[in-house]
Amino acid sequence: MPLLDTDNISSNESEGAFNEFIEDQLENLVDSILTEGDLTSVGDRGSEVIVEIDDIVAPTFTYGDESEGGGAAGAGPGRDGGKIRFNVPFEFLMERIARSLRLPHLRKQGRGKIKEVTHEFKTFAPVGTVLDKKRTFKRALKTSIGMRVYRPEEGRHEVHIHRRDRRYKVPERVEKPKFKAVVFYMGDISFSTYGERLKLEKRLVGFIQHWIDFNYGAKNVEHRFFVHDADAHEVQEEDFYRVGNAGGTLAAPVYHLVQQVATNEYDPNTTNFYAFYFGDGELFDEDAKEIVELLEGQMRPIFNRIGIVEVQPGRLSLLNRQVATQFHRDSIIRLGELNDRLEAIEVIKTLFSER
Amino acid sequence: MRSVHQDPELAFLEERVLHHANTFRRTLPEMRFFVLDSTEFMSLLEKGVYPTSPVNIWEGKRMVGRKHRVEAGQESAIYYEVVQTGNPSYAYLNHTNSPMMQASVMAHVVGHCEFSELNVLRDSTRDRTEFIMHLVKKVELARQQMGEVYYSQYWNACESLLPLIAPHSQYNLARSVDTESPVLKQETDTYVSEERSSAALMPVSSTMDALLHQQDPDQAWQKEMQSKLRQETLSRKGYKLRAPCQDIFGFLRNHAPTSRSEKSMLDYLYTRHFTHDFILRTQVMNEGWAMYWEKKIMLELFKEKAVSGIIDYARVFSGVCYPRPYFARNPYHLGFNLWNHIEQLYSEGKISLEYFEETDQSAKDNWKRTPGKEPIHYMADLIRTVTDYEFLRRFLTPELIHEFHLNRFHRMEAQRLRLSPDSIVKEDRQYVWLDPEPVKEEMLNFFTHFHRPRVYIIDTDFQDGGLLLFHRDDGRRLRKDWIKPTLKNLNLLWKGPVYLVSRNWLYSFSANLFKETVVTELRFEKVLERMQRYEKPFKM
Repeated sequence: MPLLDTDNISSNESEGAFNEFIEDQLENLVDSILTEGDLTSVGDRGSEVIVEIDDIVAPTFTYGDESEGGGAAGAGPGRDGGKIRFNVPFEFLMERIARSLRLPHLRKQGRGKIKEVTHEFKTFAPVGTVLDKKRTFKRALKTSIGMRVYRPEEGRHEVHIHRRDRRYKVPERVEKPKFKAVVFYMGDISFSTYGERLKLEKRLVGFIQHWIDFNYGAKNVEHRFFVHDADAHEVQEEDFYRVGNAGGTLAAPVYHLVQQVATNEYDPNTTNFYAFYFGDGELFDEDAKEIVELLEGQMRPIFNRIGIVEVQPGRLSLLNRQVATQFHRDSIIRLGELNDRLEAIEVIKTLFSER
Repeated sequence: MRSVHQDPELAFLEERVLHHANTFRRTLPEMRFFVLDSTEFMSLLEKGVYPTSPVNIWEGKRMVGRKHRVEAGQESAIYYEVVQTGNPSYAYLNHTNSPMMQASVMAHVVGHCEFSELNVLRDSTRDRTEFIMHLVKKVELARQQMGEVYYSQYWNACESLLPLIAPHSQYNLARSVDTESPVLKQETDTYVSEERSSAALMPVSSTMDALLHQQDPDQAWQKEMQSKLRQETLSRKGYKLRAPCQDIFGFLRNHAPTSRSEKSMLDYLYTRHFTHDFILRTQVMNEGWAMYWEKKIMLELFKEKAVSGIIDYARVFSGVCYPRPYFARNPYHLGFNLWNHIEQLYSEGKISLEYFEETDQSAKDNWKRTPGKEPIHYMADLIRTVTDYEFLRRFLTPELIHEFHLNRFHRMEAQRLRLSPDSIVKEDRQYVWLDPEPVKEEMLNFFTHFHRPRVYIIDTDFQDGGLLLFHRDDGRRLRKDWIKPTLKNLNLLWKGPVYLVSRNWLYSFSANLFKETVVTELRFEKVLERMQRYEKPFKM
């Protein structure tokens, strides 16, 4: 009987075509995320991100209302009111964002390298607690053949296991490089940080958190938040956007505090430091000079990256100007200006691109 | 994928099943059995029970979704069998089935193959699967010729119009469209009065006719002009619409302006989806017939001990034939029981003029007359002449509806559906039974619309070459936001303006412009009447 002219029935090519289509849709999604500049709505850092894209349904003449969707909801491809839901690994999405923005991965080599110690069963010894049955049997078989106990040609299939044949799995100390990072966020609460200004700052901070978590792994990153008016304080993340004060402004104390925390609480040889400052940049001349000195003398040598972002700066803003005189096109210290949502991508590129 | 001949046990079972089928004198095409693994099975289903298909994202999407549902436990990967009828027929078995299940599947396939051979709608063509594989190759070539972007665009447009395939409709191509070359006759399952053709065969004397019938000269002139117009249209376009055409995709396949690549795609998609209409119209009879022969052949196999596990078989059989309410009808259950009932009626001679004319109820109750032929011959005659609509209309009685539990609902379900207490005729702790009388009517209504809007082509030259569709109103509105994209897709295939009349709205799509216009509502009967008079069915 003639067989059909095919050995295997498969939809691989069509599945591939569909997956390519979905990849294109995800690229569009990334573009829209970047336009919006808000990653917090996508999902939690380090987890799988559930993304929704418009379902592809062939329209036809059918009964029903416009609002009607179809099918049951569920993770993975399925229909939920005209949407297809996918679980996308956070890394997958960040990779695409990085590719879209042409951002290089952060350098983790050099200073800040520490070892992560684990134990793996890699070697074997005559004593121990976890018996390796396979190796033990192999050795016992060899011994039994040598001692002529195991002689299949004579119908004898005995295998004697002696104490010396036993082999145990032994844990071995394994050191792997581990990278740890601490990110300091500094915010000026002495000016009116609310409304559009607060939204812009929040989005940028959100992206920085995602980006550094993506580069180091969420578990290896510590995010610490500091605010200042005339004095500097450390606050919880949620308070970073809430506190406000109408008093005077001195920004140097917050840089000083961050530098103190970095050197006193962490080992600069094993930690990657990042610091980002957000404010309107309206400081006293002396204050700005002090910051430049701090940056040059104490922070730049131990920090991987320091970003100073003036959010909707005014006519009197001078911080970036002052810093630029000393650190123009610097590889560590980056200066940005954020006036509206659409500038967020440019600021991100300024903060994280190679130079 | 492997042939059952590579497995001695399955080859033996195939031989026994075919032996018994032949002993029962079944009319069968050549049948080829193959064994597939679960993924192949899923893929086969997505390809419309053909082993190959052109690359398309729709199949990919459904496949990804199906795999996900199977992994999430929302869908079982166990498919017992699928068959593509034709000559030869190809039946596919799941490799996870036990030998006993494989035998039952083969026996089931015997029923399907015979039904497709015999039925009035005849769903069996020579080398159907091979032909589809040939069309797939043509579409793959078309894909290279068209380029990926236009190929996808055209396929998507076609996908949108697939529900508009209706080869067995009362208004199919053969009945609705005159062509210069005769269209292959398509059977329908609906009676339509034929135009009287006897006049062409009778001796004619136009002079005598004119004297005897005294025809109005205006009318004669009109008729003459209509005839000329028809001939001119046929000669110019190659076709002329003489009645509404419900097989819209079929019409586009034959008459839309297409390149060779586009035609290949339309041919493939139409041929691949063509059989759905047959399934819709014959599912109860077809599945019932397959279950009937499955059981008969399996009992023979158990008797000769070719297979074992009769208890397991009984368990699976009763699961497949589990009764469900009429709107979620189980064709296996209804068809199987109805065929058994009909067999009994025939064996007792109850389907006869004498029985129907008998007025004495006690005589009717004790009626037992030997029929002229074996009941199975009458049953085969039924298959040759009717489809589900007539099958149910003739044989499904309110008593049977009650007996088969077609009117039975779970209490919870009855509450959810807010069934009126007046309609409940019986209840127990678990179930309620509805009045069976209206159930039959509702079941038959399904065959007029199949729960889909009825849309027809009524004019192919509307407002300078536009294609005019008509939605036959049955009290429900079309989903409005899908009208525009569907018309857009239709426009891509027709390559000219397209229109849709639905209730008192005229929707149009032309030159990337969508318009809605209020018009006077038109009834379908009026459209028919005008088309019969060779008038424009719809005027602005």
